[in-house]
Amino acid sequence: MVEIQSYLILSAITFIIGVVGVLARRNAIIVFMSIELMLNSVNLTLVAFSAYLGDTTGQMLVFFVMTVAAAEAAVGLAIVIALFRNKQTVNIDDINILKW
Amino acid sequence: MVEQTLHSLSQFLPETTLTITFCISILAGLILRNKPKVIPVISFAGILLATVFAVRQMGSSQAVFSGMIVVDPFAVFFKLLVGSTAVIIFLFSIYSQEVQSTLKRLVEYSSLLVAMTLGMFLMAGAVNLLMMVLAIELTSLSSYILAGYTKEAPDSSEASLKYIIYGALSTGLMLYGISILFGLTGATDVYAINRSLAATSVNSVALLIAVLLIIAGFGYKISAVPFHFWTPDVYEGAPITITAFLSVASKAAGFAMLIRFFKISFIDFNLLAAHAGGVWGLLQGFEWNKILAILSVLTMTLGNLVAVWQNNLKRLLAYSSIAHAGYMLMGVVVLNDKGLAAVLVYFMVYLFMNLGAFYVVMLVANKVGSEDIDSYKGLGYRSPFISVAMVVFFISLAGLPPTAGFIGKLFLFAALLDARWVWLAVVGALNSVVSLYYYVRVVRNMFLRDPEGSTEPIRFSFPQMAILLLLLVPTLLFGLFYSPIVELANASVLMFGVR
Amino acid sequence: MNFLGIGTLSWITFLPILGMIAVLLLPKENRNAIRWTALAITFLQLVAAAFIFFNFNRGLAGINTVEGMQFVEKVSWINIKGVPWFGKIYVEYFLGVDGLSVPMVLLTALISFVAVIASWNIEKAFKGYMVMLLLLDTGMMGVFVSLDFFLFYVFWEVMLLPMYFLIGIWGGPRREYAAIKFFLYTLLGSVLMLLAIIALYFSVTIPDPTTGEKIYTFNMLAMMNPANFEPGSLLAGTSTYWRYLAYIALFIGFAIKVPVFPFHTWLPDAHVEAPTAISVILAGVLLKMGTYGLLRIGYPMFPDAANHYSWALAVLAFINIVYGALCAMAQKDFKKLIAYSSVSHMGVVLLGMSAMNTQGMLGAVFQMFNHGTITAMLFLIVGVIYDRAHTRDLDAFGGLAITMPKYTGIMTVAFFAALGLPGLSGFISEAFSFLGAFQTHRYITIASTLGIVLTAAYMLWTLQRVFLGQPNEKWAGLPDINGRELAALVPLAIITLWLGVYPSTMLDIMTTSVNHLVEFVKQGGAAVAMLPK
Repeated sequence: MVEIQSYLILSAITFIIGVVGVLARRNAIIVFMSIELMLNSVNLTLVAFSAYLGDTTGQMLVFFVMTVAAAEAAVGLAIVIALFRNKQTVNIDDINILKW
Repeated sequence: MVEQTLHSLSQFLPETTLTITFCISILAGLILRNKPKVIPVISFAGILLATVFAVRQMGSSQAVFSGMIVVDPFAVFFKLLVGSTAVIIFLFSIYSQEVQSTLKRLVEYSSLLVAMTLGMFLMAGAVNLLMMVLAIELTSLSSYILAGYTKEAPDSSEASLKYIIYGALSTGLMLYGISILFGLTGATDVYAINRSLAATSVNSVALLIAVLLIIAGFGYKISAVPFHFWTPDVYEGAPITITAFLSVASKAAGFAMLIRFFKISFIDFNLLAAHAGGVWGLLQGFEWNKILAILSVLTMTLGNLVAVWQNNLKRLLAYSSIAHAGYMLMGVVVLNDKGLAAVLVYFMVYLFMNLGAFYVVMLVANKVGSEDIDSYKGLGYRSPFISVAMVVFFISLAGLPPTAGFIGKLFLFAALLDARWVWLAVVGALNSVVSLYYYVRVVRNMFLRDPEGSTEPIRFSFPQMAILLLLLVPTLLFGLFYSPIVELANASVLMFGVR
Repeated sequence: MNFLGIGTLSWITFLPILGMIAVLLLPKENRNAIRWTALAITFLQLVAAAFIFFNFNRGLAGINTVEGMQFVEKVSWINIKGVPWFGKIYVEYFLGVDGLSVPMVLLTALISFVAVIASWNIEKAFKGYMVMLLLLDTGMMGVFVSLDFFLFYVFWEVMLLPMYFLIGIWGGPRREYAAIKFFLYTLLGSVLMLLAIIALYFSVTIPDPTTGEKIYTFNMLAMMNPANFEPGSLLAGTSTYWRYLAYIALFIGFAIKVPVFPFHTWLPDAHVEAPTAISVILAGVLLKMGTYGLLRIGYPMFPDAANHYSWALAVLAFINIVYGALCAMAQKDFKKLIAYSSVSHMGVVLLGMSAMNTQGMLGAVFQMFNHGTITAMLFLIVGVIYDRAHTRDLDAFGGLAITMPKYTGIMTVAFFAALGLPGLSGFISEAFSFLGAFQTHRYITIASTLGIVLTAAYMLWTLQRVFLGQPNEKWAGLPDINGRELAALVPLAIITLWLGVYPSTMLDIMTTSVNHLVEFVKQGGAAVAMLPK
């Protein structure tokens, strides 16, 4: 039997890795992957709590989070493609027409 | 079960109308490929109809779809606000060059606007965290695409990318916060969260982290500092009509959700029921309003100070809209119905003045081809009427009488002083002095400077002027006769299940 | 006293708006029609002001009673029904005049009329100029006649935008800077005032005449009655921290307009850059709003704070008088000199107000009127010479008495009135102010008399530099003052002379009200002090 704390710590670590990835990585594709990582750690937390509380609401939420993740990825990648056609790059540092 | 669903559907008429309109718009786009101009008409009619249905919901107060969504005066108010904004945005779009130059993709434009409106309608009524997330996502996904609508323009797709990255990040943070809150309370329904928090004491550090993360999600929607980074870029890069829509409707829906989440989750209902005056007590001694007070000060101060340095009018208005979010947050901080009523009054006023300012920017950009403040030099002599209207909108945004903006500020400050938040009121008042400086910079260019280059008068057509008057007249009228908006706001602070 | 069913005060306030609409409808090429319309409107306003002046009952005090107010108009304007957590909101369209406001109403009408004459030959965007001038006129008049705080504030702020444009578009080389400086300073003052207004609003309730339910009100007269303050509200009680703070907030709002040192730095810029007619209005009317506001609002609503801080006001008055005079002495620019002399002369008003006795206050109110007329003359005089020579450098002139004798005559009257020569109106009001203040703040007043000496010095020195001595060859061909300019200056000069010889024409109007105000503030402070803490 694995304690709930272990799940929570694991998900917190993956979540932080995801956040750092979004903030630090410069490749738009990797940024989207990091966001996926964040959402998946959310899923892990939800499932862990769901099992712990004996309440299936959390598991139901997971399905919605997965859908949200898929939709965001679809739109996000489409936007990356549109941008790539204009600028021939997916590096965030090169995307700098707009600033302060 | 079936009966309940049927009953729910009857209370879901505005949203159903929007859903059907969305589907019809897409189908019509496929069938009537050669007549793209028909689709916006369909979408427009659908939104208008949905708004009318929302008006008919006035006064009702009930939960539908097994407590996922409520129909109450508060939700109806925001539906009306969002619906009217959408209607006005469609009127703007008729004269928007950015939109009209991409006739082929008009289907996307108008159907996504409908989807966005639908998302915001749901945001206004959502009382379940799951529903809130889904509503936010529906709104956000549509707006990501619309922000990059003129995809040939590099800044538009750039805006879109920044928007989705920040958006997805805040959604992630918010969802993580929700998962922790779910773990603490075992519920996703805000009423159930309230009951759970009232019954058992929870780990206060975990609660703080969860709420901070959830604030990140709301803060992103209302563009509060430090979740505002996307705002200037998106406002500048997106087509003006979309910018205007985001600046009013999206912010309003975000506020609706933020207020509802905090008010229902963390207020001691027993205390509220015991006092007719609406005394609010906070559960678990958790003073989240202090967090919001700090956010509010940061938001308005940063918005105003950075706006001073802007040379692009759209970007200037973006920072000004950040500052306005800060003003409105002050009303939430107060923690009573007076504060909420002040926020609602402010939103009604903000609708007219902010849309008006964006409309003038759009009209001028159509003729001059630039949104730069320098291109406004001497505009007062080339197109006096438009310039005077712009002055009125700016004066109203700065909060000077006799315009409606003053009434908004008046009620906010009144709520703050009444609750003895004197320092916050002083900060807000000083901020409005700063804001005057950058609004007046534009006024100065229009009237105090001579035109550069062409001095030809700029003329606008009669319908264009009519739309302008539609926004100008209320901005002035509500400054002198504000009973209707205040009465509507007073009636609209009622939420289902509270008191 | 209605005309077409509308009261005199509404007419006098909104006539300029009618004129503004008329001017807007005129074609902009037709300069004659525009200027004559504006002149006719301001003349009608002056007639209405004279009507009020002659029909004013000198025996009624006003200040804090509706019965004592005259020409009262009171209509419900905004009436929002109460909900449990939001008291009933009730705003009235409430106009009325008493002995404090009648001189100001007269002054405003007079100065506006003179300003239109002085703007006869504006070159740039004449129509826009007149529209702004008339809008400004409404704002000024409204401030002096409104007795509802909300209405007062609206009028107070309505003036800002026209003033910004009038300085910013038609001003001198540094007009943009001067205009935005004026705008921001004044707005800073008025937001602080707004916070004080709101705090007052939530502290004062009056019973509804029909149902007896408590309603919050912006009625100024209700705010003056200590009994109306809700126990436990922010500004309830007496001599509390919050009351002092609110008084200071109000004071800063008004002090910026006066302007009181150290809030005066906008004034030299605005006065110097503004066109002649606007300088006249600024000095003649706008500065009086600050002191009027203190007397109408600050004193009767916060008698405790007013008494408590009267010494501070006296010190500020001293600084204004002496510092203003010293600055004026150092100026080479004619207009800047007059601007600083305004700072000095408004100091006399403040000194009179700080006296807290009838003599001082009477002197202060009278000085407000006199300074309005005298400074208006001085600015017009500067305008006349600037129009001809296109310079305001004092050292560039000399011996103008030979080339421009009529001009010199008028100017001498104005200068001697400004330095307080007996027989001219300025003497009476300054004497009253100093005498009153001497009883209350002895040493500060003695120190302030230094200002009189300094004023005499710079005024006479200026007179000497400009008019006496060797005629400067360069200005030999300057034409003397013309009929239009005389039309603006002569009425003001006559008033100055008349009030110098026969001051009771004006003093009669104010005495009852000022007496009442002094008693009220004294009693208010004393009565409140006796209440248990």
